[in-house]
Amino acid sequence: MRTEQLMEQIREANLSYLMLAQSMIREDKDAAIYRLGVSEDVANILERLSPAQLVRMAASNMLLFRFRFDDRLIVDMLSDHGAGKLMAGSHAAVLMSARPAAGLTN
Amino acid sequence: MVARSRSVLSDAEQVQLAAELAALGARLQVLETETDLSRERLLRLYKEVRGASPPKGMLPFSTDWFMSWMPNIHSSIFINIYNYLRCHTASEGIRAALRAYRLYLEHVEVHGLERVLSFTRAWSLLRFVDGKLLKTAPCRKCGGHYVVHSMDLHQNYVCGLCHVPSRAGKTRKAPVASTADLDEVIVA
Repeated sequence: MRTEQLMEQIREANLSYLMLAQSMIREDKDAAIYRLGVSEDVANILERLSPAQLVRMAASNMLLFRFRFDDRLIVDMLSDHGAGKLMAGSHAAVLMSARPAAGLTN
Repeated sequence: MVARSRSVLSDAEQVQLAAELAALGARLQVLETETDLSRERLLRLYKEVRGASPPKGMLPFSTDWFMSWMPNIHSSIFINIYNYLRCHTASEGIRAALRAYRLYLEHVEVHGLERVLSFTRAWSLLRFVDGKLLKTAPCRKCGGHYVVHSMDLHQNYVCGLCHVPSRAGKTRKAPVASTADLDEVIVA
């Protein structure tokens, strides 16, 4: 019962992510590549997915997207935003835009 | 003349670009450098877009502005976005600058910051980087890349966000007044 709910929520999150990503890419691909943190290859694939494919991809027991940071510093900055350090959001933005984009390895 | 032989389509593109630049608050000199349109046409376009004559006088040419605390953070955000776009997308040149500047404005708005970096400043920053007067260097503590003078030593560089100067952010009014050069005034 609880697992079913969880699966449902994961599927919804996946689907909204995919749909948002796709509409961002169709609107302005270059800006979307920055905002999503993916490479152009990935953006091209997402752009071309049909609605049926989106639904199929979303139906999974795993989330399709994951954290964009692998760095404790960025996590601290983002979660502490507004409370502690001065301009933590800007600091995180500088660090995050220097991260490599998520791409494909053939 | 070059103007005669240019195609209508590329002319339209140039006008479009000039209008976009003017709308973002770029000075006339930026428009002149980035398009091949004649000065008179740009002047007319500028007036039409902004509803006022362009400010006269030279562009701010000091690289030191980019070194003071708040401007340095803002220009570093901008150049990181720009470099990301250059690295991961097909945008180049002025198009990449425009897009990066829009994303920078978005950042400023989302975080409730002041728009410290004007488009003309952002554009000058890229010119200074091209001319090797400025570059980016990694901070020893956080690893982020920040705008620095090319000629300084950077082995032990620590950015203004890891090591916040004691007075930083306390002078709310003073930095605004000092950065309010001509292009900020017309934006306001």
